[in-house]
Amino acid sequence: MLPLSYAVRNLFRVPARLLQIVLGGGLVILLLMLAAALSEGMDGVLRSSGSEKNIIVLGTGSEESVERSEIKASVPSELEAAVSGLEEVLGRVAVSPEIHYNGLLTLGDGPGDSRQALFRGVTPAALLVHPEVRLVEGTFPRAGEIMVGRLAAHRLGVGEAALKPGTQVKVGSTTLRISGIFQAPGTVMEAELWADLNDLRAIGQRDTISCVVVRLDSATFDDVEVFTLQRLDLELAAIRESDYYAKLAAFYTPLRIMTWVTAGLVVAGAVFGGMNTLYAAFASRVREMATLQAVGYSRKALAFSLLQESLLASLLGSLFAAVIALAFADGLSVPFSIGTFLLRITPGILGLGVLGGLTLAIIGTLPPAWTCLRPELPAALRSA
Amino acid sequence: MSSYESFIRCRGVTKTYHKGNTPVTPLSALDLDVPRGTFLALMGPSGSGKTTLLNLIAGIDSPTSGSLHVGGVDIAKLKRGQLTKWRASHVGYIFQLYHLVPILSAFENVELPLLLAPLSRKERHRQVQVALELVGLGDRSDHRPSELSGGQEQRVAIARAIVANPALLVADEPTGDLDRESATQILNLLRELVREHGKTIVMVTHDPRAAAAADTVLHLEKGRLVEAADLNMQAA
Ligand SMILES: Nc1ncnc2c1ncn2[C@@H]1O[C@H](COP(=O)(O)OP(=O)(O)OP(=O)(O)O)[C@@H](O)[C@H]1O
Ligand SMILES: [Mg+2]
Repeated sequence: MLPLSYAVRNLFRVPARLLQIVLGGGLVILLLMLAAALSEGMDGVLRSSGSEKNIIVLGTGSEESVERSEIKASVPSELEAAVSGLEEVLGRVAVSPEIHYNGLLTLGDGPGDSRQALFRGVTPAALLVHPEVRLVEGTFPRAGEIMVGRLAAHRLGVGEAALKPGTQVKVGSTTLRISGIFQAPGTVMEAELWADLNDLRAIGQRDTISCVVVRLDSATFDDVEVFTLQRLDLELAAIRESDYYAKLAAFYTPLRIMTWVTAGLVVAGAVFGGMNTLYAAFASRVREMATLQAVGYSRKALAFSLLQESLLASLLGSLFAAVIALAFADGLSVPFSIGTFLLRITPGILGLGVLGGLTLAIIGTLPPAWTCLRPELPAALRSA
Repeated sequence: MSSYESFIRCRGVTKTYHKGNTPVTPLSALDLDVPRGTFLALMGPSGSGKTTLLNLIAGIDSPTSGSLHVGGVDIAKLKRGQLTKWRASHVGYIFQLYHLVPILSAFENVELPLLLAPLSRKERHRQVQVALELVGLGDRSDHRPSELSGGQEQRVAIARAIVANPALLVADEPTGDLDRESATQILNLLRELVREHGKTIVMVTHDPRAAAAADTVLHLEKGRLVEAADLNMQAA
C-alpha cells in the first residue's frame, strides 16, 4: 500500500486544480444538502401539522381543501352533543369551529400594500385542539383583533416590524388590531393569521364555517365518522388531520421530485465535469503509475491511492459546503404555498452531504483511474 | 557454462505484439543464458527488441511462448498479480529517464519498494540510508528530484532499484541521457554492484563505451542474438 501521505501530497501537486475540485465538489455537496433540507423541511411542516388525535369534520367533496369547505355553524354543538369521549380540558370540550380563508391583508394605505394571506377564524377552543400553539407576545385575539404567526411576516414578504402587536391592519375592508404573536413550531399554522371566528365570518360574508376540528380522548375516528353518516343532511365528511396533511404532502410530491431531478441533473453534470478534470490529471501520471507497478505495486493498491486523493478532496469539499450551509442556509425561512418552514442543516443532512460527496468521488474517480492504470506496462513505461 | 547454473535462462522465448491485425514479433525463439553475478550488455539497432527482452527478463511483460527462468522460477508461467509480487523482491529496474516520483524526496523515492515489505519503520529507514550512501547520496536524502542533477537522479534511481536487495538489476540505457562524466560514475557504480554485491545486471545500451564496462556483450538483431563477445573486462 502506498502511504496516505503520498495521496495527500499528490492532492497539493497542482493547487489550482485542487481548488477547482474542492470548490466544484463543494458546491455540488452544498446543493445536495440544500435539496435534502428543503425536502425535509416541507415534509416536516406537513407531518407535524397533522395530529393523529385530531379529526377534521368538513363538507363532503371538500376533503382536499378546507378553504373550499362550507358547513353549518351549528355543526360544532351538534357534534359535541352526539359524540362522547372527546378530549376535555377544565370542563371545556376540545371542539374548535374554524374558518380557513385565503384573502387580502392590507398593511398601509397604498394599494401596493395588499398581499395574499392565510387567515383562520377561531375561538379560544382552538387552543384545546392545537396545543402546540403558544403565544410568544401579546394576547389571544378578541373581537376586532388578530394574532399573527411567527413566520407570517416572512411568508408575506414584509419586515417583522410591520406585524408588531398594536399595529392596525385591514382584512378586506375591516380594520383589525394585532393582539399578539404566536408560535407553533414546525407547522403550517406559524405562517397564518388568526382572528376571531365571528369577525372572519363577517369579512367573508358567510353564515357557514369551514370545518370543526375535534381532539379525541377515548373516542375513535369511527365515532366521529358515524356522526357524519347519521347526519347525512349536514353533508359532512371526517378526515384525520394527519391524513389531511399527508394528502397535501402527496400533492407536493411532484415538487419534491422536481427538486431532486434538478439536483440530480446538476450533480450528474458536475460528476462528468469532475471526471474530465481527473482524466486530464491522471493522464499525466500514466508513466509514474507504470513505474510504481514496475517497482511492485499492484494496480489495486494504486487505484486505492488515486481514490484516496479524490476522497480527501471530497472531504475538503464537504467541509466547505458544511461551512457555507451552516453559515448561510441554516435557519433560513422558506415560504411555500401552504406554509413557511425554517431550513435546518441537521447533522443528518451534513452526513448525507458527506456521504453523497464520497459516493460521487468514487463514481467520478474509478473510470479515469482505470484509464490511467489499464495500459500495458511496457507501453506505459515508454510514455512521456 | 552449463544452463543448469544459469541465473537467467531463456528457451525459445518469442514475443508477438498485435498492431491492429498485423502481428509484430520483436523476439522469436530466443535462447539465452546468463550466469549469476554477470554484468551483461545488450546492444543492437533500434527496434531490434532490446527493451522487449529486458522487459521480459524483468517480469514487466510475459513472453508469448517459451520458458524464462530467473533464479529458478519460470516467470513466463506467472500471472499478472504474481509477477507484480515477484518484481517487488526479485528485480530492480533502472530507466533511461530515471522515472523518479517528482513529489517525493530522494529518501521517499528510495523507500517506495520497501513499503511493500514487512519491515519496521526503523529497519526501513536504515536500509534506505544504506542504499543512498552506497550510491554516494547520503547527504541528499531530502532533495526533490527537481533539485538534483541527472547523474544524481540516476543514482537515486539505482538506490531505489537495489534497496529491497534483489539479485537482478535491469537497466535500459541508464547512461543514455547523461554526460560522459556522470555516465562513467553510473557505470562504475553498476560494476561495483556486480563485483562487491554479487548482483546480476542486464543493461541495454547503444554506447560501445558503456558496453565496455560489462563482462559480456550480446548483440540483438531483428529479435535474434547474432554474435556474442566475451570481452573479459576485469576491474583492476
Ligand atoms: N507494445 C507494443 N506493441 C506493438 N509493437 C511493439 C510494442 N513494443 C515494442 N514493439 C515493437 O517491437 C519492436 C522492438 O521494440 P523494442 O522497444 O524492444 O526495440 P529496442 O531494441 O528497444 O529499440 P530502441 O533501441 O529504439 O529502444 C519494435 O518494432 C517495436 O515497434
Ligand atoms: Mg529500447
